[in-house]
Amino acid sequence: MALLQIQEPGGKEAKPLHRLAVGIDLGTTNSLVSASCGMRVETLADEAGEHLLPSVVHYRKGGEPLVGFEAKAILVEDPLNTIASIKRLLGKSLSELKAEQGYLPFEFDESRGDGAPAIATAAGSKDAIRVSADILAALVARAENSLKGKLEGAVITVPAYFNDAQRQQTKDAAALAGINVLRLLNEPTAAAVAYGLDSEDQGNVIVFDLGGGTFDVSLLNLNKGVFEVLATGGDTSLGGDDIDSAIADWIAQQMESAGLTSIPSRGRLLQLANGAKHGLSDNDAFDIVFEDWSASLDVSTLQKLTAEIIGRTIRTCRRVLRDAALTIDNIDNIVMVGGSTRMPLVRDAVAEFFGKAPLTDIDPDKVVAIGAGIQADVLIGNKSSDSFLLLDVNPLSLGIETMGELVEKIIPRNTTIPVAKAQEFTTFKDGQTVMSLHVVQGERELVSDCRSLARFELRGIPAMVAGAAKIRVSFQVDADGLLSVTAEELSTGTKAEIQVKPSYGLESSLIEDMLQDSQSNAQVDMETRSIKEAQLEATQLLDAIANALVADGELLTKDEADKLALSIKDLESIMQEGSSTQIRAATEELNQVSSDFAAKRMDLHIANALRGESIDAVKNETE
Amino acid sequence: MQSLNSNYFQLFNLPESCVLDQDKLSEAYRVQQQEIHPDRFANAPEPEKLRAIQLSSYLNEAYETLKSPLRRAAYLLSLREIDVENVDQNDLGMELLLEQIQLREQLDELPMDDSALDELDRLRMEVRVKLDSRQAKFAEHFEQEQFADAKKIYHELQFLYKLLAEIDAGEETRLGY
Repeated sequence: MALLQIQEPGGKEAKPLHRLAVGIDLGTTNSLVSASCGMRVETLADEAGEHLLPSVVHYRKGGEPLVGFEAKAILVEDPLNTIASIKRLLGKSLSELKAEQGYLPFEFDESRGDGAPAIATAAGSKDAIRVSADILAALVARAENSLKGKLEGAVITVPAYFNDAQRQQTKDAAALAGINVLRLLNEPTAAAVAYGLDSEDQGNVIVFDLGGGTFDVSLLNLNKGVFEVLATGGDTSLGGDDIDSAIADWIAQQMESAGLTSIPSRGRLLQLANGAKHGLSDNDAFDIVFEDWSASLDVSTLQKLTAEIIGRTIRTCRRVLRDAALTIDNIDNIVMVGGSTRMPLVRDAVAEFFGKAPLTDIDPDKVVAIGAGIQADVLIGNKSSDSFLLLDVNPLSLGIETMGELVEKIIPRNTTIPVAKAQEFTTFKDGQTVMSLHVVQGERELVSDCRSLARFELRGIPAMVAGAAKIRVSFQVDADGLLSVTAEELSTGTKAEIQVKPSYGLESSLIEDMLQDSQSNAQVDMETRSIKEAQLEATQLLDAIANALVADGELLTKDEADKLALSIKDLESIMQEGSSTQIRAATEELNQVSSDFAAKRMDLHIANALRGESIDAVKNETE
Repeated sequence: MQSLNSNYFQLFNLPESCVLDQDKLSEAYRVQQQEIHPDRFANAPEPEKLRAIQLSSYLNEAYETLKSPLRRAAYLLSLREIDVENVDQNDLGMELLLEQIQLREQLDELPMDDSALDELDRLRMEVRVKLDSRQAKFAEHFEQEQFADAKKIYHELQFLYKLLAEIDAGEETRLGY
């Protein structure tokens, strides 16, 4: 019998064991990790006190990668081995990346397939999953150092508009970094949670999230602890980076007009552009200086340079309102998220469109991580089940390719998830045992205008006359927004075997290789964790007994006290050096030895309690 | 926790009828999701997690069906074993066909620029008025168990909702969304 922690009647409940869970904002420009610190969720800082971790990784031959500020410092000097904005590469093919307008300073490893692009670095081929995993690992290390424990789970945020491939690759990166993903959470929803719980507002909220590389707008309804996403829209290739790019183009033009013979590298231009952009948040004009050359960029020029980009964001806001069948008058609050919303031009455009000033109280760089941390706490079980609930939606319609390269939509966009839809198919030829399905995401009619997700091959269909087979294919989108497919031939009840060939990213065998590498380290990790857990339990027991002795030590006879003291000493010494099994054995031993003491305490406290009760109450019980 | 065998109305403790209290539906939906959503089982064993996804999906499907007047109508008919997928000659009267042709023509003849916006608005209102009266008729037939007649009206509703969607799409194109 375990030693009971006996409280006075009416005393506080024992605190549940607090499990370590964090929220992670894996951003294009900066990443953050947050955790519950007492009553609030806060972002965690590194040793230098910095909360942001630049999403930059520097690879060097024969050494560990550098992540964060150190890597960022080398970015302009060594663009081939220093990777920034890796988030823009997730879920995309090589040909797509090459065609995309945008500065890609590194070299691709041309030996890789089109669907799984990787960057050639001094430390070997690194794909988006690997680079993202390195950033995640740095955040995990920061969290475990600060919180002094092993991480049990994390909520990782993704842009609401991320498609299936981008989400899956984010999950793969987390697996590679050894993280147990509790949920992939949409960034605007995370922000809504951080604000919603802070202000306890009810009503319709627009979250306008303009980050370094992605843009999302979500419309949520907050009501009685339920956050329901009504509609979402966005662009996963639109962000502050594009604004920097527009300014860099202008700088280059100015330099050329001024007759400069050697224009600095694109990387340097972007650095200058970024500085100017930040400067113009506080001033009406900013002097850009490069060696002997300088030029002044003012707000009205900036407005012209960013008009198209900002215009696109406002058009998306319109679309989202329509999808939710609401108007501007129905919107109670607008929340600004993402570093790029610090620009006065962006804030003004949003305020003008919605006819009210947006909320900016919570740091737009931190709000997503904080929301994720809040949900992580709930999902890991640290909070009661009365907590808020998030109902999110899928951002893109899911469809299958049909005759004539057309798309038939199976699950329309903005459907609340999780969701399952079934569709029936039949065979073309006599004796056909295999069927192929091409699943795409997007709103267009033609397959070529949509995003290819995967090809599913259904095998094991019982051979029948053409058209006789009734194959029900079930499409399931889970709470992370990921698709899975099952199929059953109805007349015979056979479950068809499904093989998924994802259009982007690695085949599952490659992912397994990557995971196996990290798993050999995992064995060692598991024993370390086991010991830590055993030590934790032992400490709790020792503390409880120490308190009990202070309170009721006189209940013990000399013999009993000696025996107990010996058992305590045994556990204390083995705790330091023993294996987890040994520690647990000693803990159990102490439990046994102290059980009589516990029983005596129990009797005593019940007797005291009874004496303290009113005479009337006792009388009632005996009547 | 409701099982997957309840019909959608039972799931939300609502009466099986054409008329629906949207607030009651939303409230019942939220209360149920609070209990069985996968987020409540994020740390539970795998079988419980899968069950939560299944139940939550079913709940979402039920909610979407009952929320939409057209889908609710189809669902009510299906509960009476009337399959709306099977459309036959008798379902579409001459009157309906003429109405379809006329409304369609009005939409197709509009210019592709934003000078058509006012006319689109007017057309939309006309369709909404027809929808309201058709919906009332559907309820009447259904309550009096005249299911064949109810099915005919259902197909009229189907056409009108489709036209409404096309009017909206036409507006979006002209506004440049």
